[in-house]
Amino acid sequence: MSIKIIQAGNTSIFPDFKELYRYKDLFLTLSWRDFRVRYAQTTIGFLWALLQPIVTLLILTLVFNKFAGVETEVPHIVFTVCGLSMWSYFSYVMTNSGSSIIQSQDMVKKIYFPRLIIPLSKALVGLIDFGITILILIVLMIYYQVAPAKTIFFAPIFVIIGMISALAVGIWLSALTVRFRDFQHVVPFMVQVGLYLTPVAYPIELVSQHLPKWAESIYYLNPMAGVIQGFRWSIFGGTPPSSMIFISFAMVILLLISGLMYFKKVESEMADYV
Amino acid sequence: MDNNLALKVSNLGKKYTIGKQKDGTFRSSLANVFKSAANKGEDFWALKNVNFEVKKGEVVGIIGKNGAGKSTLLKLVSQITKPSQGQIEIRGRVASLLEVGTGFHPELTGRENIFLNGTILGMSRKEVKLKFDEIVVFSGIEKFIDTAVKHYSSGMYVRLAFAVAAHLEPEILIIDEVLAVGDAEFQKKCLGKMDEVAKAGRTVLFVSHNMAAVKNLCTRAILIDKGQVTFEGSIQDAISRYNSIASQQKLKFDTSDYSSRKRGIKQIYVESIEFNHINYLPSSDFKVNISLGKTEEFNGKIDLSVFVFDELNNTVFQLSTYCYNETIEYQASNTYQFELDKLGLSAGVYKVGVWLSGNGIEQDYTEEDITIEVDSGNIYEIQTANITSIVQKDFIFSIDKNGKNKD
Repeated sequence: MSIKIIQAGNTSIFPDFKELYRYKDLFLTLSWRDFRVRYAQTTIGFLWALLQPIVTLLILTLVFNKFAGVETEVPHIVFTVCGLSMWSYFSYVMTNSGSSIIQSQDMVKKIYFPRLIIPLSKALVGLIDFGITILILIVLMIYYQVAPAKTIFFAPIFVIIGMISALAVGIWLSALTVRFRDFQHVVPFMVQVGLYLTPVAYPIELVSQHLPKWAESIYYLNPMAGVIQGFRWSIFGGTPPSSMIFISFAMVILLLISGLMYFKKVESEMADYV
Repeated sequence: MDNNLALKVSNLGKKYTIGKQKDGTFRSSLANVFKSAANKGEDFWALKNVNFEVKKGEVVGIIGKNGAGKSTLLKLVSQITKPSQGQIEIRGRVASLLEVGTGFHPELTGRENIFLNGTILGMSRKEVKLKFDEIVVFSGIEKFIDTAVKHYSSGMYVRLAFAVAAHLEPEILIIDEVLAVGDAEFQKKCLGKMDEVAKAGRTVLFVSHNMAAVKNLCTRAILIDKGQVTFEGSIQDAISRYNSIASQQKLKFDTSDYSSRKRGIKQIYVESIEFNHINYLPSSDFKVNISLGKTEEFNGKIDLSVFVFDELNNTVFQLSTYCYNETIEYQASNTYQFELDKLGLSAGVYKVGVWLSGNGIEQDYTEEDITIEVDSGNIYEIQTANITSIVQKDFIFSIDKNGKNKD
């Protein structure tokens, strides 16, 4: 029988990954629960998951392409849905893991398990929405007869980087929200502003054309800027992304490591705060 | 750690910061950066220097008054929050019955909730699958297992939740005052499970201020007072010490702020109410001392009534000076006392209200949350909880050994 020692003081700066792995069943169960109850008691149920991205997509195309005259290499609507797929995943995970610990306060106050499981499980649930937008992307590519480029084999890499960056931000926000409820109001704002500060509905070239070099590097601090650009390149081909996307990727790693450390720091006292 | 120990607590302490600083806003945190350390909130040690050991297979009662630190100790042992000082060594899996129904989702069916709750409590999906049928039978709600839990009655809900928790098979089981809630059947199930766990050689920590249940079930007791272990040893000694702490102290409620009370004209008002014990037994003597204050010059006759209500707000009894044949004159320096030889109430929490009139006009009525607590004196009360009444009448009991042969 194992002996567990609970001690005062900080023992480690990173979460216990072995323990996290032991709780993988909880991770799966929580993801599955979110999926099960998401559209419970709605009349059109799963159709909501389809309707939301379609409406967003139509509006973005209307505003950026028809009103503002933004031109892209592939038809604008196909171009946009590609970016939107990554962005909607990112914003789902960010929003839901941000408030996740507060929403599970019942559990957090009464029972021990690695708290990190809660925000982590949101990353899995978000894949459903991602899958749906990818489906819309495939349908539109067939309709507009856009062939995927050879670089499509790189796509999974960018999806994984996208997942990690969503998680990194989600972990940060979930820990911050426990400590400072202000972040409950910050997150919806971030989602709203983020959509325009990320090259979802316009090509990244517009940024480099209109902004000085230093401002462009600040723009790339947004992890999704690099992820979406890379993902789009892997699907449609064309000119490879500028080396600036490494700023985004470095940011992802920085956010992830610091997020895990901050979460660990707050974790032991979460039950006292929520 | 010694091989036959299940739990070892050394020098354990938990500190909370009380005061404004912990309100969890970004602004206060920012503000703190610029403030001096002296301005920070006050430290409060909910537990300090706690040391004890529990052997494998022991059933230990942890007793103490409300706010003594029992719940904090449980939270630390079950790893919900971190100690500020010291350490805890635990051998084996810990489960606690304070988490009955944690994580149940109302939209999911009974079946789905068993899996959800089971994994939250630390079982693997495989383990839940293995015990699934057993859990369903134990809960007794086979028919509704595929119905969403939100349609369950509260009784069904608790039964299903308890069935999951009962099949955890932990090495150390922690039971909190959960026994105080739920119906008699549920309490009995909890106690039965506890007995079963103990007989299987597992360790039980039983936290309660129901002395009767502790006496009945535990083999040893730890007494906690003001965040420290003040006694460790036999149940009998621990209980008598507990009772002496409880009965030595008086319970005084300050009611001098009458501004929120609606009734009466408040020429005179109820200033404070003092009870002779913190905890009562059904057989305890009951004294309540009332002092009065005045807002203007007042002379004349007063009447006082003490009302006692149960948890459902039924009036259980009243003590009123209307039944007292002499007139009572008001004197600023007086205190007024009602006394009962025997309180005669069953275990529970009772609310007390004091009504005051002066010269035939209603003066004041206390609407604050003034409560007294009665512990059960009968060690079998738990088992007969479903046939317990509120009032324990004072009676004379006699046995006539030859009664049947008299006629």
